[in-house]
Amino acid sequence: MKHLRFLAARLTFLFFLLASLAGAVLADERGVTNDSINIGLVLVKTGPVAALGLPNGQGMVDYMNYLNEQGGINGRKIEVIWEDDQFEAPKSVAAVKKLIHRDKVLTILTTGGTNQTIANMDNINRYQITNIPNALADEFFVPLQPYIFAMGATYEAQYQCIVDYIAEDLKMENPRIGVVYAKKEYGKKGLDTIKERAAKYNIPVVAELVLPTRAVDASSQVLTLQQQNANIVITCDVLPPVITFLKTAEKYKYEPVVFGFNWATDDMIVKACGDAAKNYIGVNFVGGWSDDTPGIQLVRGLQEKNKRDIGLTSLYINGVGVSWLFGEAMKRAGKDLNPDSLKSAMETLSNYETGGIFPPVNFSSESHAPAEMVKFFKADLTNKRLNAVTDWRKPKKMP
Amino acid sequence: MAIRSPTFKESYYEDIKLFQTIWIKFWVAVLVLGLVLLPIIGDPYFVYLVNLSCIATVAALGLNILTGFTGQVSLGHAAFLAIGAYGSSIMALRFNTPFWVNLLFGGGAAAVAGAIVGIPCLRLKGLYLAMATMAFGVVVEYLVITWDGLTGGVRGMNMPKLAFAGYSLDTDEKMYVFLLVITGLMLAAAKNITRTRVGRAFVAIRDRDIAAETIGVNITYYKVLSFAISSFYAGVAGGMYSYTIGYIHPEHFTLLLSIQYIAMIIVGGMGSIVGTVFGAVFIVVIPEFIKLFAQGSAKLFPFMKDRYDEEWNIAFFGLLIMIFLIFEPGGLYSIWTRIKVSFKNWPFTY
Repeated sequence: MKHLRFLAARLTFLFFLLASLAGAVLADERGVTNDSINIGLVLVKTGPVAALGLPNGQGMVDYMNYLNEQGGINGRKIEVIWEDDQFEAPKSVAAVKKLIHRDKVLTILTTGGTNQTIANMDNINRYQITNIPNALADEFFVPLQPYIFAMGATYEAQYQCIVDYIAEDLKMENPRIGVVYAKKEYGKKGLDTIKERAAKYNIPVVAELVLPTRAVDASSQVLTLQQQNANIVITCDVLPPVITFLKTAEKYKYEPVVFGFNWATDDMIVKACGDAAKNYIGVNFVGGWSDDTPGIQLVRGLQEKNKRDIGLTSLYINGVGVSWLFGEAMKRAGKDLNPDSLKSAMETLSNYETGGIFPPVNFSSESHAPAEMVKFFKADLTNKRLNAVTDWRKPKKMP
Repeated sequence: MAIRSPTFKESYYEDIKLFQTIWIKFWVAVLVLGLVLLPIIGDPYFVYLVNLSCIATVAALGLNILTGFTGQVSLGHAAFLAIGAYGSSIMALRFNTPFWVNLLFGGGAAAVAGAIVGIPCLRLKGLYLAMATMAFGVVVEYLVITWDGLTGGVRGMNMPKLAFAGYSLDTDEKMYVFLLVITGLMLAAAKNITRTRVGRAFVAIRDRDIAAETIGVNITYYKVLSFAISSFYAGVAGGMYSYTIGYIHPEHFTLLLSIQYIAMIIVGGMGSIVGTVFGAVFIVVIPEFIKLFAQGSAKLFPFMKDRYDEEWNIAFFGLLIMIFLIFEPGGLYSIWTRIKVSFKNWPFTY
């Protein structure tokens, strides 16, 4: 028995010694060969917000595979290496370093959300990682960040559009806005924007209530809003708490018009809430699943072909759209594909159409800002979908 | 003529000497040489992992002083890291002070917070102490999120690049040197603490606090001191973390991080300095081995392709803790001791 324990101890020692040496071995070239392109992706796959990352990443991978079936990019087949960061910045930083140094990828489609992208800012510039963050912060394009291309209206623009819609489309008598928000970046930005914009229209904001992201009940928020006679509720929260809010409101027979931003505007809201979503109006910077546009038709085809069981359709659409832009940029970069030519090619996407997936894309060497445009969606209870009720629109210019 | 053993000790001083034989000095020299060569032979990702291991070592050392040596359970270690990280960042950003001032300030702030937490926790033990320290973690997270004028709140804080005498440490290899030196100093300090009266008092409290009090150990003083020292280590690790990652956010310092440090000291060996290093390195590096295993098995079994994700690591950590607690409570340090004895006695078994 003692012999065995000593033997096991020696073998353990030897294993870790050899494995450490193996880990230190260097790899070769970065990303592009005559017949292949390696591309990285850092996106949450597991953990509490896996439901957001999975469809997004699947959309990106499926579109790249679709390009491969069409012959690849200038004869080169694309391989996507997907690293899971569990939506944690330190893990995202480690994943980026691994993709660049070990896998030698040409670029990384996205390095994750706001925190992850900010944490990676140095790496992005140092290793010339052209990427589209899975986030909507204005510091990604003001001032110009050479390798970051922002896609999707900022939180400010989305909430400005919502208040514009309330004032000019909804035309409700005596509108009284209640705001339900999370103590997160989007929540705080949303609240500030709504208050500022509503003041310009002289619409009173009668309540500002925190609804935590992990809330399983919103009774206190609903009862307070009822007490304040808020007939419009703008939520600055992600999908799960908004579902909680709508279901709780239904329980108390409280039926205001409820608005939500892109992270809460998905078919899932109708599927999860049913009738409770009948007064829900959401905004998003991607087209709707039911849109009859070429881009969305392709998205539906990819989902069917790959038999994807997608929870959040809007994120799958977004994923396809992001890969679409990279695919186009890689084509434009031509045979001489490298981090710098990819970035330059991305900057040539001017008034570029993605078949209704995104609003027209306008990047240049002076600006990597997103089109600050959104569509409004309303619930179709019969088909359990959100259908677009407007075309792309921007916040109204106000003094 | 009597034959004297080369490790025969005639005084207590000899017994606590750091380098007891020439061979220990030799192996330490080999280790130092290996560490010096590491950035040359390893790729930047490997160096980055070593950097993370250094941070984890310093933080886990702090927890081991509190839990392994003094026997006080803590689930709030990540909160002290947060205090250190934010303390260092605020000093760097607002006052542009040099890095050593920032690290000391971060460590000092965490130590003060640790002492403050330690006083009301004096009468608590076991589960109650774990709950109290966990609650402290929640309070710190709340403060960091709501005090956004100082901490950046939910936006987080960017840490400026570390500069030393006008020389920017802007690569992982340069950071490696900095982190290695700090880790070496902290290790030496921890080793010395455990060799002194203070360390012996900690161990006495851990083994039986009533007996310790009977022989004259001031339990109040030493328990609070243990909290303060432990938190100082966590605070310095927090500062190292903020310089290495370059960005800090309240979500980086969660309960899960505290549990990860507990895993490090359990796997490494409670109440052992060398074991702490083993545990920290092991927990940081093991996901890479799991990943290698997953990639390797995908070549043999195609259905394993793209199956690997972070959940594997979490499941493996859980499994490891169970295995070590049941089969090897002494942790990696115990295995290491057996390896040493095995080589020493070879070809005999004892």
